[in-house]
Amino acid sequence: MAEKIYRVNMTTLTVSAEDVPAAWAALGGRALTSTIVAQEVKPDCHPLGQYNKLVFAPGMLTGTACANSGRLSAGGKSPLTGTIKESNAGGSASQCLARLNVKAIIIEGLPQKDCFYSLHVDTSGITIAEETELVGKGNYEVITAVRKRRGDKVGVLSIGPAGEMKMALANISVRDPEGNMRSHGRGGLGALMGSKKIKYISIDDAGAPGVAIAEPEKFKEASRVFAKCLLDHPVTGQGLKTYGTDILVNILHEAGGLPTQNFRTGRFDGHDKISGETMHDTIVERGGKPSHGCHAGCIIQCSQVYNDKKGKYLTTGFEYETIWGFGADCCIDDLDSIAEADHLMDDTGIDSIESAVTVSVAMEAGIIPFGDGKGMLNLLSEIGKGSHLGRLLGAGAAAVGKAYGLTRVPVVKGQGIPAYDPRSVKGIGITYATSTMGADHTAGYSTATNILKVGGFVDPLKKEGQVELSRNLQIATALIDSTGLCLFVAFAVLDKPEAFNAIVDMVNAKYGSSITGDDGIGLGKSILKLERGFNAAAGFTSVHDRLPEFFADEQCPPHNTTWDFTEKEIDSFWDF
Amino acid sequence: MPQIVFSALSFLRAPLQAQGVDCCESAMTVAEGMTPALLLRQLGLEREAVEAVFINGKAGDFETVLHDGDRLALLPPGTPGPHRVLLRIKKQEVPTS
Repeated sequence: MAEKIYRVNMTTLTVSAEDVPAAWAALGGRALTSTIVAQEVKPDCHPLGQYNKLVFAPGMLTGTACANSGRLSAGGKSPLTGTIKESNAGGSASQCLARLNVKAIIIEGLPQKDCFYSLHVDTSGITIAEETELVGKGNYEVITAVRKRRGDKVGVLSIGPAGEMKMALANISVRDPEGNMRSHGRGGLGALMGSKKIKYISIDDAGAPGVAIAEPEKFKEASRVFAKCLLDHPVTGQGLKTYGTDILVNILHEAGGLPTQNFRTGRFDGHDKISGETMHDTIVERGGKPSHGCHAGCIIQCSQVYNDKKGKYLTTGFEYETIWGFGADCCIDDLDSIAEADHLMDDTGIDSIESAVTVSVAMEAGIIPFGDGKGMLNLLSEIGKGSHLGRLLGAGAAAVGKAYGLTRVPVVKGQGIPAYDPRSVKGIGITYATSTMGADHTAGYSTATNILKVGGFVDPLKKEGQVELSRNLQIATALIDSTGLCLFVAFAVLDKPEAFNAIVDMVNAKYGSSITGDDGIGLGKSILKLERGFNAAAGFTSVHDRLPEFFADEQCPPHNTTWDFTEKEIDSFWDF
Repeated sequence: MPQIVFSALSFLRAPLQAQGVDCCESAMTVAEGMTPALLLRQLGLEREAVEAVFINGKAGDFETVLHDGDRLALLPPGTPGPHRVLLRIKKQEVPTS
């Protein structure tokens, strides 16, 4: 069965299945969503209007036996930043779509009637139905209800109340194999789904034909090599499995790069109380799970199940960036309060990084004091309720900063800066500045050894080599985001060249192609250029590739460094 | 004798805590001329168990002599993300031009 592009027109409430154009045949994930958005979306359109489109695409390797390949890309023009957006998540949906030979779903137009709908995907295609029962409900209730309606193994993409209210920090939730949630977090794509009036998409892959592999034996061998690289590596094989990404709290604290009290200092006195080490001990003590996979076939298992003091499930996928944001940045040293916030955000359907930066800016504005855990939870509740204050907070950190006349507002292109201070970790500052999607640490998260091993070393406190490092990380990330692989495979790829070669071999075995590693890097470059071209047509220039000026004006203790790149140095990022 | 501020992270904590070593920003008195490499031996840690040492917040050399007031943290293998490169934990070569 050939792969198909499904086009869902929400104006006419019709669906068409199209053959995959030759130019899109070898693309997947971010490469495909960004190509479709760049070709089909008017760059100057209103993100919530009829001309924007919401695109979903599984990665090139998704649905195969390749380890950690179950990521889904969602794309569109971002309601938060106004730039192009690709957001990447785990969960079950991507593998279900790939097995159904769904190359991409393109959702376009706006409904004429003021009601919500659901989409259902199965072997017969996509059907649209009006939805009433679940409107206004949180994601946990939606996922439970859809499982009852459609079966226990169904994949689900849903929005919470924040998405229905088209808030700029709304996310799209994805059901994981155990019925909990992962998120297409950043960029407000939940608001875009809400504008299309789609409450949820269910995906049933029963009877699906599966993913065609041109050369199965070659694929199997490359897949075996790749899995071994992941299992043998101390990060992917042990570190993440034990401590999750929260292991980074104490590391960034030590390095003086843990942004604290709305980016005033690089160390947080309460760091150990919110650290990965403490989280691990707490989870074990309360009978939770320190290791947990976000999708079938994940062998890294960086997720976890965190229980409350009574041993009852509270949250899963409890990430470093969330804990940093409500912890160090909001000065709250209570892991249980942050876990409660994580649960609330999953249910409301809001991005945890944007929400944390927004609450920190709200603290800066004096709405509540820094360190006020209960106040933080109340603010998040206001977002879910859609009160006037909640609506303001739901518009994101930049909007709150503007409403209160603040200058200490850590955003780039309207998106909150995450968990690494750019004055102490300068390479990531270049990524925040130049990313095509606003401040985003995951835009420069991956490594490809074949382009990294030249020249000298970088010092995180100095400028030398940082532009080149960020460029290489962003190119490699664009490539990995297109494969459907989890970005965390990059840890093994950094140390084991055979892991990168195995990825190339798997792509070739799947498609019967003969691309090289350099071709892959070329694809990464072309994706970045394509996305920047969209942004330029939407009105973005190099002037938007800048960090807020307080980073240049204020030193960050303990290293007392400032953001000191010239405009010319930042702009040289694009010299490739 | 110099007094340093000592930390050990993640997997290193259990074996050190079993010896009664406080691993979170604790005051530790060390001998004159002490280096991270010597301290590892004193604490019974294999060199391979520690991927990087942070001295005063910067990835440093295992042979650096520690002085009074210095801050030392031991990091085992297991730092995720590109941070091993960005923080110079892994002295990976990157382009300079």
